Amino acid sequence: MLDAGLCHYVLVSYADNALSARRPDHHSGHILDDNAPVFGQFGAVAGYAMAAQRAMYTFHTGPETWKQIAVGQRKWANLNPMAMMADRPLTDEDYDRAPYIVEPFRLYDNCLISDGGRAYIVTSVERARDLKQPPAVIMGLGQHYPARDIAQSTTMAGPTGARIAGEMAFRMAGITPEDVDACEIYDCFTYAVEITLQDYGFFGPGEGEDWFKGGTIEPGGRMPVNTSGGQLSEVYFMGLTPLTEGVMQIMGRCGARQLGPATHTREPEIILCSDNGGILQSHMTAILRRD
Amino acid sequence: MAYPKPLPHPTADTKPFWDGCKNHQLRFQKCTQCHHVRWPPSLFCPECHTSQTEWIVACGKGSVYTFAVFHRCFHKAFEGDLPYVTAIVELEEGPHLLTNIIGCPPDHIRCGMPVEVTWEDVSEEFSLPKFMPTS
Repeated sequence: MLDAGLCHYVLVSYADNALSARRPDHHSGHILDDNAPVFGQFGAVAGYAMAAQRAMYTFHTGPETWKQIAVGQRKWANLNPMAMMADRPLTDEDYDRAPYIVEPFRLYDNCLISDGGRAYIVTSVERARDLKQPPAVIMGLGQHYPARDIAQSTTMAGPTGARIAGEMAFRMAGITPEDVDACEIYDCFTYAVEITLQDYGFFGPGEGEDWFKGGTIEPGGRMPVNTSGGQLSEVYFMGLTPLTEGVMQIMGRCGARQLGPATHTREPEIILCSDNGGILQSHMTAILRRD
Repeated sequence: MAYPKPLPHPTADTKPFWDGCKNHQLRFQKCTQCHHVRWPPSLFCPECHTSQTEWIVACGKGSVYTFAVFHRCFHKAFEGDLPYVTAIVELEEGPHLLTNIIGCPPDHIRCGMPVEVTWEDVSEEFSLPKFMPTS
């Protein structure tokens, strides 16, 4: 539309009142199939718990891996005054002691439920250069839709849609994962972060626990992930939580959590963002860079 | 007392399956062209896209593909069952079926574990296929 001259600016927005509206928990009960509630299968958490369980059977993963994601992201949220969990530290012991919701997921493996919204504007690089803020330039995009009916899915332990969507985006951008300075990964549940990074090629199947070890994704880490706190610890605004954070980081507007000297991390030249839908049934990758 | 949990909502596609359950038979569509056995039911074979199909009765044996253990109540009628197990069972004939694993402590269940169907007669119209470890 921009290239064709049909419009100059596209506003992409998302808003929800999921927290205050308190929609019934069985609202999303039909996510596996029409008869899911017959067997007591409710909520997206059950589908992702099944995916995580299958992953535990397929390669080396589990709570020791996911804990590092939950605790690491919380450290970013503690630097973000807008995060729902800004004032709530989270320790390894807090994670271990938390009750199961749908096993293998404990409380802190689950994303938040939030009121609010996010928006971003897409325009040409040329127009963006005249605007008040420095632009985040789209380097690469990819999408993939691997599964029709989730019960029949054989991809829940990977490769998910992230494999092909990621390859498309990296090819378009002309880079590899080594060139990425930070990642903003769709994190409805901790396991989604692990399998997405694994499918992008940041580490091999089952190597996640070692890769996350030592604060890799935390402030000061060598590959910061979900620098706003993400959906686990900032807010849940679907794909706009990761994408808008990637844009804000590249613009340099993130205050205490800003990548670079403020958080002892690399200056963000290139940030990789992801989104997924269903139970790992669709995937989108966007690679952004500084102008 | 009426059965308090949600009941199936058969469609034109799924009615033969639920009718089979009533007779304690697990019925699936089998493509007469490529022999693929499919679930959920559909007009066309998802593998070869032909519409020629027959209904077969599955043997009721399979293995746990994956599972989840509910520790939190999402629906009042399931409160007394906590912790309960939902699972996807891979049947010997091929299809994956969403169901419950019963008759086994949740922490004994593993992916790949052999299971067989057992029937829960919940109303005049419906029997539910659930699974337990193969004896």
